[in-house]
Amino acid sequence: MEVLNKLYEMTAFGAIGEDPSTLVMLALALFLLYLGIVKRFEPLLLVPIAFGVLLANFPGGNMAVTPSTEIIEHMTILEIAKEHGIMNMLYYMLIKTGLLPPLIFMGVGAMTDFGPMLRNLKLAFFGAAAQIGIFTVLISAVALGFSLKEAAALGIIGGADGPTAIYTAIKLAPNLLGPIAIAAYSYMALVPVIIPLVVKFTVSEKELKINMKEQDKLYPSKVKIKDLNRTKIIFPIVLCAIVSILVPSSVPLVGMLLFGNLIKEIGSDTNRLMVAASETIMNVATIFLGLTVGATMTAATFLDQTTLLIILGGFIAFAISIFGGIMAVKMHNIFSNKKINPLIGATGLSAVPMASRVANDIALKYDDKNHLLQYAMSSNISGVIGSAVAAGVLISFLS
Amino acid sequence: MESNISNALVLLAIGMITVFLILALVVISGNILIKIVNNYTPKPTKKFSRNYRSATVTAPETLAAIETAVETVTAGHGKVESIQKVEN
Repeated sequence: MEVLNKLYEMTAFGAIGEDPSTLVMLALALFLLYLGIVKRFEPLLLVPIAFGVLLANFPGGNMAVTPSTEIIEHMTILEIAKEHGIMNMLYYMLIKTGLLPPLIFMGVGAMTDFGPMLRNLKLAFFGAAAQIGIFTVLISAVALGFSLKEAAALGIIGGADGPTAIYTAIKLAPNLLGPIAIAAYSYMALVPVIIPLVVKFTVSEKELKINMKEQDKLYPSKVKIKDLNRTKIIFPIVLCAIVSILVPSSVPLVGMLLFGNLIKEIGSDTNRLMVAASETIMNVATIFLGLTVGATMTAATFLDQTTLLIILGGFIAFAISIFGGIMAVKMHNIFSNKKINPLIGATGLSAVPMASRVANDIALKYDDKNHLLQYAMSSNISGVIGSAVAAGVLISFLS
Repeated sequence: MESNISNALVLLAIGMITVFLILALVVISGNILIKIVNNYTPKPTKKFSRNYRSATVTAPETLAAIETAVETVTAGHGKVESIQKVEN
């Protein structure tokens, strides 16, 4: 009998029985795995996050991230690994230091082509307009009782940029990291649902039929690019200098994005670096980011009213950002002869390139010759810069 | 609470102005950069004629494949000017 008791104590059954809320978290982990594997919602990140939730919530596994305390912050990495397990070691080494989001941004930069943006520079303004959701939700969250730092971390979900949302949460509200990461990546995965929904209620059929190529023929651009390759090499260096001088706190994100882009644009001479940034480093960073963020979500930290408010607030921030981009295009169309399809404004979110693909698909439904992917990519890429700059502003004012 | 909301409103104003300012600078600097690069781009001295036919390469699709391969390998810096058969 004593042997059976010891066997029972060795397993996790006893601990699960004592705290049934663990079962809710395990069910949530399985649901997220279902979304990632079966529904293919951002599987590259949702699967590691979901598995991190699973690992963290099996009692006795010592894989849950312990909330930051002064004692832990003064421990060495070795001491954290010994006392709190390897997941805490990874969390305090890679997440708490803010290392992984910039590494992911470097990979994103190495996969980004600034060509469409350079060919349609004016459209970059709509990437700025689409950041309005971040700040409006910040105000609403403060009104609901969140602290300024927490509200800022919540609002940044409206930028539709996972690494930026995580980076801001690490800097301003690490206690909300788990729900913010889940909300940000879930809504990014739901871009094909959310953009058409907002477009349906805000854009007329006539506006959706605005053909960007025909408008270009009617009102051609005054600036022609003779050497795009050389321009694309110099552009990230110039852009890095501008952002570094004006918003230094956004440099860890924007700077790494532009470095990744530079090593891509140089070509064969730095090809190995580009491959490392966009594949090896990016993949390793994604695995550790997903697992450690998932491991922050235990029943004690996740199952409360705040999480629900974050999920709801994130959706509203997302929708307002899309709405802001669309309204900016509509305003432009009132004052300009050259009309722009409002779908270009809807792609001012980060979510590259999914937002652009969705906008292109919607445009093709109304006019099968209206391929606006290249135009949408311009505001989409500027949205990445815009949300990182917005994060930089929030961090420098609030941290 | 009220001071937090007024701080949030200040953040809204500063944040949106900064984002617009940065992207405006991106547009302006991008345009200046394009003009500068355009000015310093050397004019092509010898243009490769698409009608060129060597003794061995005649098919237009083969010609297009060679041009694409050169452009990819040299990241757009190289241009095909002539095609010659190398005798072994």
